[in-house]
Amino acid sequence: MQQRSDDRLVAYLDGELEVAQRREVEAWLDADPAARQRMAALAESAHLLHLVFAEAIHEPLPERLIAAARGETAPPQAGAQILPFRRRLGAQIAAPRRWRTGLPVAASLLGLLVGGGVAYLGVGKVALDGAAGKQAALEATAVNNLWLDNAAGYFKLVVNASDSPPVDIPATEDPREALQKISQSLPQEVRLPDLKPWGLSFRGARLVVEEGRPAAALIYTTDNKAIGSLGLIIGSSKQPDISPTFDRRQDVNLLYWRHQGRAYALVGQADIGYLWGIANDVAWQLDAV
Amino acid sequence: MSARFGDQLIAVLPRLRRFARGLSGSIADADDLVQAACERALARQHQFQEGTRFDSWMFRIVQTIWIDQVRSRDVRKEDGDIAEDRLGSDEPARRVEARLALDEVRRALDRLPPDQRMALLLVTVEGLSYKEAAEVVQVPVGTIMSRLARARIALQLQLEAGNGGRRSTKNAAAQ
Repeated sequence: MQQRSDDRLVAYLDGELEVAQRREVEAWLDADPAARQRMAALAESAHLLHLVFAEAIHEPLPERLIAAARGETAPPQAGAQILPFRRRLGAQIAAPRRWRTGLPVAASLLGLLVGGGVAYLGVGKVALDGAAGKQAALEATAVNNLWLDNAAGYFKLVVNASDSPPVDIPATEDPREALQKISQSLPQEVRLPDLKPWGLSFRGARLVVEEGRPAAALIYTTDNKAIGSLGLIIGSSKQPDISPTFDRRQDVNLLYWRHQGRAYALVGQADIGYLWGIANDVAWQLDAV
Repeated sequence: MSARFGDQLIAVLPRLRRFARGLSGSIADADDLVQAACERALARQHQFQEGTRFDSWMFRIVQTIWIDQVRSRDVRKEDGDIAEDRLGSDEPARRVEARLALDEVRRALDRLPPDQRMALLLVTVEGLSYKEAAEVVQVPVGTIMSRLARARIALQLQLEAGNGGRRSTKNAAAQ
């Protein structure tokens, strides 16, 4: 009986219960102080476990692992020596380049982004069978590519603009103001992840289009040349969830994912290791994982 | 090897390292484990099914290699191994205390049976759903649920039993 109730409490904390089961547990917690205490202790230990591994996700990747992922190491042999860690990825990261494209190009990119109307995020990963499925997958990939093209295009505008990124709502002393304003134009409220630990400052928000619906592009900048400017695009989505997926447009990196009706994309010139770390932070802060 | 496959692999490396670190209890062993997993994934990339979760596929490879290692030799680490890796002599006292508290959590995790540790890492640290974790470990969802509950209770009890654990773990949470 105790095991069963513990199972329930843990599943409740993990958000794994159906609505009716959740209500049952909530009623139980309302009535039983000991259960409330046990749940609080369980929640605290889970939080501590997160803290234990929080740093690991932000560490620069050892070069040997990047080489292994790229297939640049010898195939495994029995008793083979694994290459020692030599230097950190950070040393490899090139300073971000600035685009020199002119204003007309930038304006057309902006038009593409805002007026595009059809824009999907991350629909290329749905498993589909048969010829119709393949056709649908091709179409989905094409539309997805269009959206990623546009996201990269918008990001180029931000980089070109240098000190004054093209935002609809600039950040004020209280960034919540900007969020409130842009949320008024969106189907769902947008929260602002704090990326100060990465040295990134929120500069403002812009309304963009994603899956035919308005979405928010949050712009961050930093003096850290290894990261550079960064865009975080958050919109609503009717597509199935997908795990973070990496893509690239010329020298713009994109990491995008969907979770419970929300679509997210991080756009920047930062190395994928940084993007991944930042995406984890975003996902954790916005409960988007 | 396709560039896309390599990109996906690089993208998931930080999480693989974290997962492997939780399993092996050692930074160096974790990186060896991830490197072996990358090599195996590249050799078997044709087995990855497009449209399925790449991270889950990689977690499965990591856990398979780790289980093989556990079966072939005792890879359990001595207590305090990671603490020695990380503790700096010039850290302020409060940070040292917090760090020690987190090391206590890490040791409690190391003491869990491998199957419970795996469930805890996949769900509580990596954020997989019960169903996704069950697919990685290849057991029924109910099994994941009960392993997870046992792991969470055991972890909590070990922390409570630790010397001053409650006070110092609260400091760690406040860091």
